[in-house]
Amino acid sequence: MLTAAKNQIKVTILTTKYAVMREMLNKATFLSNVIFMILNNSTFLIQWFLLLSIKESIGGYDIHKILYLWGLASLSYGFAHFFFKGAFHIGELINEGKLDSYMVQPKNILISVSTSSCSPSAMGDIIYGFVLFFVNQPSVLNFFLYTLFGITGALIIVLNSLSFWFARTDSIADAGMNLMTTFATYPGTIFKGVTKIILYTVVPLGATAYIPIDVLTNFDWKYTLIILGFTILFVFLAFFIFYRGLKRYASSNLMSARI
Amino acid sequence: MKKYLYAFKFEVMTTLQYAFNFIGKMVSLFLMIFVFMNLWNFMYDDPSQAINGYTKFQMIWYVSISELIYFVTRGRQTCEEISKHIKSGNIAYTINKPYDYVVYTLFTLLGRSFVSSAFYTTFIMIIGSAFTGALPALTMVELLATVLVFALAVTISLLLVIAIGLFSFIFEDSSPMYWIYSKIWLICGTLFPIEFFPVWAQNILKFTPVYVITGPSRLIVNFTVEGFVETLIAQIIYLIFTVGLCELVYRKGMKKLNVNGG
Repeated sequence: MLTAAKNQIKVTILTTKYAVMREMLNKATFLSNVIFMILNNSTFLIQWFLLLSIKESIGGYDIHKILYLWGLASLSYGFAHFFFKGAFHIGELINEGKLDSYMVQPKNILISVSTSSCSPSAMGDIIYGFVLFFVNQPSVLNFFLYTLFGITGALIIVLNSLSFWFARTDSIADAGMNLMTTFATYPGTIFKGVTKIILYTVVPLGATAYIPIDVLTNFDWKYTLIILGFTILFVFLAFFIFYRGLKRYASSNLMSARI
Repeated sequence: MKKYLYAFKFEVMTTLQYAFNFIGKMVSLFLMIFVFMNLWNFMYDDPSQAINGYTKFQMIWYVSISELIYFVTRGRQTCEEISKHIKSGNIAYTINKPYDYVVYTLFTLLGRSFVSSAFYTTFIMIIGSAFTGALPALTMVELLATVLVFALAVTISLLLVIAIGLFSFIFEDSSPMYWIYSKIWLICGTLFPIEFFPVWAQNILKFTPVYVITGPSRLIVNFTVEGFVETLIAQIIYLIFTVGLCELVYRKGMKKLNVNGG
C-alpha cells in the first residue's frame, strides 16, 4: 500500500516535471507569460483602492482582508492551473474519446490526466499570491496556513471543475469556472440569503476563500480542521464519481500519441 | 465592399446556428452584474445618494452597458484566434485571397457581434430592469444616438483586439498584451466611470480608447448633446487610428512572415 502510494507520488512528480520542462522550452515566452500575469492581477488592486476610498471597510473587509482574499484566490488558482491544468481539459478528452492513452498506464488515471499539462502563466498567479502575503502582515503561522489553504483551495477548484463538465457544453463549463473565480474575489459578506447558501454549499467558496480568510485573520484550529476534512472528503468523492463515470467511457479508437 | 458584406452575412448566419452557446455566456454576464449589484447595494446607504455624481440606479446601468460591450467584443477568444492563425502559418493563405485581411476579419467579427448584441442587449434590459425596477429614460432620438455610439464603440473595440492579435507577428504570443489591455479596460472604464478616479488620472484616461469604448454607458445614464458630440468625434478619430494601426502591423508582419511548407 505504502509502496504503491510512494510510486504514485514519484510518477506524479515526474509527470509534472516534464510538463513544466515542456512549457519552459521557450524561456522568453514562459517568462513574459509569468510577468504579464503578475501585472494583470495587480490591476485589480486599483479597484479595491477606489472602493475603499469611498468606504473604509466593505462588509467587514478592510485592505488586509482584501489582500488575503485576492492573494489566496490567486494562489489557489495558480496551484490548480500550474500543477493540474490537465483536469480542466478532461471533458474534451472524454468527449473526444482520447482517454485511452491514460488508461493503459498502470497508475491513477485522474492524477495522470490532471498533471499531464501545465499553464506557464499560472506561475505568475502563484508568485503574485505570495507577494500579496508578504506585503500583508506576514507571520510564520500565517505563512504555513496560507500555503496550506492555497493547496486545499486548488484541490477543491480542480475537482469542482470536473462537475461542470457533466454539462458537456464548453460555454456552461466556462460559466461554472467564471462563477468560482468571480465570487472568490469579492467579500462573502456582501452576499445574502440564497446566494450565501449556494456559495457555501454548491460552489464551495466557503472552504476555498471565505473561511480560510477568517482563520488567517483570527486563528481558529476548529475551522482549520473543518477545511482539511472538507478537502479530504471532496477528494474521495471526486475520485469515486470519476471512476464510476469511467465505466461508461467509450473509446473512439483514435490513434494518438502523447509526446 | 460587397464581399465584406457577404462575410458579415455569412457570419451572422453561422452564429445563429450556434445560438445555444449564448446561454453559457449569459450566465457569466448575469453573474458579473449580480456581483456588482450586490457590491453597489453595499456601497450605497441610500438609493438617492450619489457617489461621484452617480446614483445607484445609474451605477448599475452603467456597469450593465459596459459589461455588454465587453461581452460582445469577446476579446480573449478573438485575440487567441488571430494569434493562432499567425503562429500556425495559416495566415499565409490570405495573401492570394481577393480581400484585405484586416477588413475581412473586422466584418466577420462584426457579424458575430451583431447577433450577440441582439441577444445580450435583450438579456441586459430584462435583468437590468429586474434589478433596478426601471429602464433608463431616453427619448427616441437619444436612443438612436446611443445605438450609433454603441456600434462605433464595438467596432473600435474589435479593431483594437485585432491589432493586439496581429502583434503575434512580432511576439510569439500576444495574449499577455491582451490581458493587460483588458484589465485596464475593465477597471478604468467598465467597472468604474472615470469620475471615480483622481483628477490627474481622469485627464489621462480621457485620451485612452477606454473612454471612447465606454461612451455609450455614460450616455445611457446621463445623455447630453455635448457628451454625444464629444464621444462621436473621439470615436471617429480612434476609428481612423485603429484601422491605420491594424493595417500597419499586418503589412509589416506579412513582410517578415516565414512559413515552412509541408
